[in-house]
Amino acid sequence: MTEDADTLYREVILEHARHPRNAAPLEHPHRRARAVNPLCGDELELTLTMDGEAIREIGIQVRGCAIAQAAASLMSKAVKGIALSEAQALGRAFADHMHGDETSLPAELDGLRPLEAVKQHRSRINCTLLAWQALGEAAPLVEK
Amino acid sequence: MSFPSPETIRADFPIFRREFHGRPLAYLDNAATTQKPRAVIEALVDFYEHHNANTHSGVHTLSEEATELYEEARGRAARFLNAPSPRCIVFTSGTTAAINLVAQSWARPRLQPGDEIVLTAMEHHSNLLPWQQVARETGASLRYLELDGEGRLATEHMEKAVTEATRLLAVTHVSNVLGTINPVERLVRQARAVGALTIVDAAQSTPHLPVDVQALDCDFLAFSGHKVYGPMGIGVLYGKSEHLDAMEPHASGGGMVLRVERDGADWMEAPWRFEAGTPNVAGAVALAAALDYLQGFDGEALRGQEIALTGYALERLGERSGLRLYGPSDPAQRAGAIPFSVEGVHPHDVAEILDGQSVAVRGGHHCCQPLMAHLGVPALVRASLGLYNDTNDIDRLAEGLERVAGIFRHD
Ligand SMILES: Cc1ncc(COP(=O)(O)O)c(C=O)c1O
Repeated sequence: MTEDADTLYREVILEHARHPRNAAPLEHPHRRARAVNPLCGDELELTLTMDGEAIREIGIQVRGCAIAQAAASLMSKAVKGIALSEAQALGRAFADHMHGDETSLPAELDGLRPLEAVKQHRSRINCTLLAWQALGEAAPLVEK
Repeated sequence: MSFPSPETIRADFPIFRREFHGRPLAYLDNAATTQKPRAVIEALVDFYEHHNANTHSGVHTLSEEATELYEEARGRAARFLNAPSPRCIVFTSGTTAAINLVAQSWARPRLQPGDEIVLTAMEHHSNLLPWQQVARETGASLRYLELDGEGRLATEHMEKAVTEATRLLAVTHVSNVLGTINPVERLVRQARAVGALTIVDAAQSTPHLPVDVQALDCDFLAFSGHKVYGPMGIGVLYGKSEHLDAMEPHASGGGMVLRVERDGADWMEAPWRFEAGTPNVAGAVALAAALDYLQGFDGEALRGQEIALTGYALERLGERSGLRLYGPSDPAQRAGAIPFSVEGVHPHDVAEILDGQSVAVRGGHHCCQPLMAHLGVPALVRASLGLYNDTNDIDRLAEGLERVAGIFRHD
């Protein structure tokens, strides 16, 4: 649908895809993870620095479509400063929400609302989850 | 023989009555699977409504009919490939299963360290991973024939395609990504000269070109029903009898044995020994209907029309700035697939926006990750042609790309 492509590729999404936030790799990360979408070969690399339990900085590099780029960028804004375990729980809630569960979007993720249009495009839902998947698996690099 | 226009051909395909987003579908994903003509759908229904029974077991009328239809379908597949006998035709679930059968039954027990399997850099994962597995298990090594700038096998690689160590050449007849038609006849000759066998992946050639296994002189050849307007879940392995008769089955069970004792069994002859379990009889029967349908057209005229349409598409797409085409520039050297990239826009986004215009193409790696790596791209958009496509579909593709450019305009 013409309108559909319009809602999917709204200005917010395109803007984040063109100018992704927190896109620089971190120089001395505490945690790192990679995620791959086996269906399309999209790849994402995520690094974190931590303040104790909390995410201090996040860096995400995406090789993928505009949806994956924008989703990673929006996520990076949403999780900065909160505890990693809490961010990971938000990720699970987001995934449930995107997969059409009747669960509502947590208030913390209000900024990710433009991605809800992707729900109508089943094959693309995973594009919105790639960054969250990496966050869920972000493993410590060095014992501190 | 008839040679109707794409428009009349479209009328044979019930799916084109459906509208998508209020418009008829411009279906340009034929390399993934083709749509099904009414004759094929009716053959499936007719089998289940009138002839359904298991084969080769019952003496009752239905079972005899089902067996007869199944074996007739084998004969039809043999004629399609100009195979010398129906006994060279093994029904499988598709190309992937057929190639794996050869990997397990022919290659695995025979190859050794020092032996070489030759592939091309454009193979589909289905004609790559089975050989990686055989190589791992036997100690044989893989060697790749590289491509030139237009996605054809490079001449200097062709000259040294095989060596004394080559035992098997596994090559695709037509690339599912680039559309390139490979000079299979010549490669088979070279392989034969060093005593190597050949397996041809004909999944993408059978829909577009006449495929004659005796002219090609290949040892094995595989294709899928669903890419030649037939149903999913049925495919064909052709093998020379001298090989099939010497191969052990890759799977065993009911329907493929002569006699079973507590600690041993005698296999049936080929091809039946390779068809353990209840076969896809309805699929085979409907595949035969698909082959009748496809060969009901004047093949040369269809091919001429396809070359012209390919040329039109290359021209229309080629004039767009920021669009890069891949594959041979000569439309006569390609069949079906027309891959391209749009600068600054990921192939999935291109495919998504085109879908919004009811233009179905594919964006992705097309099960050819090593080829993507060779081309230096993560993915490509691919339009691929079928019997029913015409310039209108290409025009709609071009208009859709205009919309892609509009959405992803650079600030
Ligand atoms: C060149 C080629 N080989 C093999 C295959 C696998 O065919 P199937 O999935 O029907 O087994 C395909 C289908 O995508 C193909 O294009």
